[in-house]
Amino acid sequence: MTLHRAEKVVIITEKMISRGVCEILEACGATGYTIVAAGGKGSRNIRMTSERASVIDEFANVKIEVIVNDKAMGEAIMDQVAEKYFADYPGITYIEDVQILRPAKFEHD
Amino acid sequence: MEFVLDFLSRLITQFQSPTLGFLIGGMLVAALGSNLKIPNAIYQFIVFMLLMKIGISGGIEIRQADLSAMLLPALSSIVIGIAIVLLGSFVFSLIPSVKREDGIATAGLFGAVSASTLAAAIVLLEEESILFEAWVPALYPFMDIPALILAIVLANIHLRKTSAGKESKVDVAGIVKESLRSSALSALILGLALGLFTRPDRVLETFYEPLFRGFLSILLLVMGMEAYARLNELRRVAHWYAVYAFFAPIMHGLMAFGLGYIAHLATGFSPGGVILLAVIAASNSDISGPPTLRAAIPSANPSAYIGASTSVGTPVSIAVCIPLFIALAQVVFEL
Repeated sequence: MTLHRAEKVVIITEKMISRGVCEILEACGATGYTIVAAGGKGSRNIRMTSERASVIDEFANVKIEVIVNDKAMGEAIMDQVAEKYFADYPGITYIEDVQILRPAKFEHD
Repeated sequence: MEFVLDFLSRLITQFQSPTLGFLIGGMLVAALGSNLKIPNAIYQFIVFMLLMKIGISGGIEIRQADLSAMLLPALSSIVIGIAIVLLGSFVFSLIPSVKREDGIATAGLFGAVSASTLAAAIVLLEEESILFEAWVPALYPFMDIPALILAIVLANIHLRKTSAGKESKVDVAGIVKESLRSSALSALILGLALGLFTRPDRVLETFYEPLFRGFLSILLLVMGMEAYARLNELRRVAHWYAVYAFFAPIMHGLMAFGLGYIAHLATGFSPGGVILLAVIAASNSDISGPPTLRAAIPSANPSAYIGASTSVGTPVSIAVCIPLFIALAQVVFEL
């Protein structure tokens, strides 16, 4: 099996800005992304996952993962998200090296 | 003197209502660090159920109601919503330790309306068998939307003056659209439309009505738990927020009670309607208002306005204001 190198950018932030974040992802050229419900502890206290009622649903956390073929695109995504949102909204972002099977999935035609 | 004693004894009876018991129980459970959890999906479903029921009953009533009777209360609601925000922003502007946009956002949230407080007031009025026009809950958006819009406009004017940089235009149409699309108002308006244009009487009687009280009790339990959880956040901001959050609901409610009383004299607005209008004014948004403000005034500190509203404002408006206004109405209208 031949695996190919790629980059995975992860953004953990609030549900209410996830739409805006995804717009940035697509504008930067990502071909898709995955969003999962997140919870845990950070600088703004403990955020629960859906096991407990959160009175304001939009403030629940999500983890957005996007795989891109080149590192420059990944860094551009991180830059733009941080600049647009992280001054006013909570969030973290990091990038990881991953190995993927079908690089064509992450390329525009 | 007799007046005062009568008032106090009625107030104490109100405190024993089971509805308030659940709210206090929720706070207690959270304070003791219990693992009791109400799943999020159930909570959201309950909010939907309550607003649907309120909407359907309102819609059915509007079908037969004299629309001119609604005019004065609806106008009062708009005036109160705007007055609360102006008053609140002014009060906070006098306190140097409070950031201007934090104060405006807090005032906006207190001008907006809480569905849970409204539902609790409806149940308490029914327990007391005080009648009210079923369209009164439909006044909700008349106060809620102007208050939120005004707060956002004021905050943006302020931010532009201090030239916090970006030239931002206030998108009023966008805010109205977002408010109407919020889960709370969507459910209420859908209910109103169903009540108006269809014949939902059977489903209302057999499904929504019987479940209303039980679901409300669970909602109040959740609100109590949330109120305690948010106290931590409130502790980290200026104490003035807690002071404001305690007194503002009472003041706002009394203002609305006065305007409602005028409507009572002028167009025969019912005493129950006056109480509900006062409660709508006293209440502060805890579900749909915060995200709207958060999106439109990103630089305001959410710990300040949400802490003030959810952990002090909501408990005060449910546990103090509702009994207070019922007792006041009983004395004023000799119910």
